[in-house]
Amino acid sequence: MTQSEMSRAKRHLETTARMKEMLPRFFMRMMERRFSNEPLAWCMVGVPPELLKAFDLLFEWPENFGTMCASRLVAPRFIEVAEGDGYSPELCSYVTNTMGYCKLFKEQGEAPEESPLPGGMGTPAMLLGSGFICEPRWKWFQSVATRFFDVPVYSSDPLAPPWDIDPTDPRIEEHYLTLLREDLAGQIEFLEKQTGKKLDIAALRQIMALSHQALTYWRDTLALRKAIPSPMGSTDYFHAIIPQMYLVGDQEAVDFYREMYEEVKDRVARGMGVVEEEKYRLIWFGLPPWFNMGIFNYLESLGAVFAYESTYNVGDYFEVDLSDPLEALVRRTWQRALKMHKFGAEAMPELCNPAVFGGFVGSSLLEELTRDFSLTGAVMHLTRSCRAVSFGEVHTRNRFAKIGLPSLIFESDMADPRLWSDAQIKTRLHAFIETMEKKLKGAI
Amino acid sequence: MAVEKTLNNSKHRATDLNETEIRRIKAETGKPVIGYLCCFAPPEIISAAGAIPYRLTGLPGDDNSAADAYTEPYGCSYVRNILARATRGEYDFIDGLVISHSCDMVQRLYGIWTYYHPLAYSYLFNVPHQVSSQAQRFYKRELGFFRESLENFTGCAVTPEALTAEISLFNQNRALVRELYVLRKNKQPGISGSEIFSLLMAGGTLPAPAFQVKLNEALSKAKTAGAEKPLKPRVLVWGSIMDDSALFRMIEEAGAEVVADDTCIGFRVWDKDVPHTTDPYDGLTEHYLINFQCPRTDRGPGIKRFDYLVERAKEYSADGVIGYVISFCDPHKFDYPDLRDYLKKEGLPMLLIDDNYSFEPAGAIETRLQAFIEMLG
Ligand code: SF4
Ligand code: SF4
Repeated sequence: MTQSEMSRAKRHLETTARMKEMLPRFFMRMMERRFSNEPLAWCMVGVPPELLKAFDLLFEWPENFGTMCASRLVAPRFIEVAEGDGYSPELCSYVTNTMGYCKLFKEQGEAPEESPLPGGMGTPAMLLGSGFICEPRWKWFQSVATRFFDVPVYSSDPLAPPWDIDPTDPRIEEHYLTLLREDLAGQIEFLEKQTGKKLDIAALRQIMALSHQALTYWRDTLALRKAIPSPMGSTDYFHAIIPQMYLVGDQEAVDFYREMYEEVKDRVARGMGVVEEEKYRLIWFGLPPWFNMGIFNYLESLGAVFAYESTYNVGDYFEVDLSDPLEALVRRTWQRALKMHKFGAEAMPELCNPAVFGGFVGSSLLEELTRDFSLTGAVMHLTRSCRAVSFGEVHTRNRFAKIGLPSLIFESDMADPRLWSDAQIKTRLHAFIETMEKKLKGAI
Repeated sequence: MAVEKTLNNSKHRATDLNETEIRRIKAETGKPVIGYLCCFAPPEIISAAGAIPYRLTGLPGDDNSAADAYTEPYGCSYVRNILARATRGEYDFIDGLVISHSCDMVQRLYGIWTYYHPLAYSYLFNVPHQVSSQAQRFYKRELGFFRESLENFTGCAVTPEALTAEISLFNQNRALVRELYVLRKNKQPGISGSEIFSLLMAGGTLPAPAFQVKLNEALSKAKTAGAEKPLKPRVLVWGSIMDDSALFRMIEEAGAEVVADDTCIGFRVWDKDVPHTTDPYDGLTEHYLINFQCPRTDRGPGIKRFDYLVERAKEYSADGVIGYVISFCDPHKFDYPDLRDYLKKEGLPMLLIDDNYSFEPAGAIETRLQAFIEMLG
């Protein structure tokens, strides 16, 4: 890759454009609190952000920091530092990005100047990990705390039933629910000890109510993309996840998702698509190449629009009874596990915790999605360093072949642009578009 | 290249030899064979349920292309090899399959394998990544579900007495393996690393009594051998799964003695007994979840998690450590920098061999081994 091959995304919605003012405001507020020495937790997707908020805790997401470093093209710098330290280039590039960042941070005594956020991720007072989705996610904080920041760690370890076990069997259900409950209790105990505060259940209930309002708007927005032409594409989609990560439980986030919903609804009413002539409607699988989100615009220039993405979607929004917000958190995770199970968890069994946004559509959901979103093809991003999310794409391709939907798997990475081969990827995308075209014309 | 020749010559491959043997035993006993990967689902329970536990192994360096139809190229090549072999029907001697959720790759292998090639019996043994009290309770419940599923398949109830008897039998073998390892603490070990490795490979595949016979033979031989052997640099081998003695032989050819190890099929499985507890499932939990040292289990941060390894290196007077990691093996690759630094602090140099489960190009690996061993010497 060369830097010039990478392009930033062009978004189509006004709401997401407004994030440009909203997020810096939020980060400024965070900085101020950090300067007054409030403890900061580094957290992983899978840790319920509502819980962090209920403790009024300052938090940072190294995974999201990885996406920011990727989109500013500074991730390779951090990743190379980690590789120099002995971390294999095969390891998750979000992790190696963090490890390189931490090493420089410790050496320099402050956030490295390449850091995309002013002040970087800050010095953590605790690490809250989660092994949901993948193994690297708890090895990650284990290593951070061993090498760089000797702070307390709690790693949540939710497990989900394998695809061939009946999760509705009450004994099996209890087996898993017990673990989820005990795991949540462990998280709370850790947070209470580290913050010196008691969990405020009423606050948690209120935060969850607001969080679910935001998620409802998000879910409804995604459903609007069934319209032809699709009113919203992937560049807006992937950016719009950020408020739910940072501003969860805030009225500001609810307002953001409501406005987005209204804007998208209005676009549907006016027949406004993402491109002038929408020829192909696609589903996206995997993590996006954050360093080159312009690839979505490139496809749009060829008349191809993504109407659905497998990652970060909340087709997994669940109604939960908030009278007991702790049980609600457990039930939300469990319902997600059940849904994954119903729709085929054979390739990706553990994606049960919808704390932020989940990912991967079960393989038997594909038929439904193809029909409801009038799909003409599937594009899958095989991320070399994240096998967790891309594993199962060949299986998904096999399932699509049965339905008769053309699909393409291309290889690169979510954060490491060194694995992007522009000419080759574009050639393959072109060939894929030709295949879809032939298919639409009934030639194959 | 000697190693290449041996790898390609199936007559010498432990996996092939063991598979020939299990077919014979199966025909003789008429018992169902349950193939397993990793050590979290106790083979003692499989035996107590009237079946033969058989640790499935792969063929390093073999063609994995049969796996391409179902799975991505990026993934542990050992796991891909197992899937390729399953796809080609090479495990036709197993009646059932149990895969433990040890690492991500193995867990996902289970889903893909059983989806495309269903077996009469299959079970994914779910294992928490931690040793917390809730993790222990989950593991113990999971043991119960596993036992029930086996009972349903074999029709044979696993009584506490039968299970305790199996545990005793397996423990006897553990004691014999430890006796063999003690002999390696001698200046001139009476048994080489590659010999003991091949023996342990049989330990995962033979019924316990048959393995005991082999162990006793090896012990009496090892007790008398060794005295005349020259003194060599001593190494400990750590790392991902190895189911071929190739690396051990390469190290020996390069002039060192492998005196200790910490790998999936090696000493990890044998170094401690399953404790006898009033409820045998407590003992199994203690042994297989808490005591079983594998980097897939989160024992919290800090270098203390490697203390056992440093102690072992000292106990066996190792001069250095050779690490072996398979491509895309997250648990081991994440631990390497922390482990390397800790060992260095303890005065133990470490060499890392990163391999795609083929031991190729052998020449390049041998050159690196020679340079490292020379340095130790
Ligand atoms: S899911 Fe993928 S990207 Fe996320 S932490 Fe795991 S390996 Fe990294
Ligand atoms: S070698 Fe590593 S990735 Fe492969 S099965 Fe073993 S622990 Fe898992």
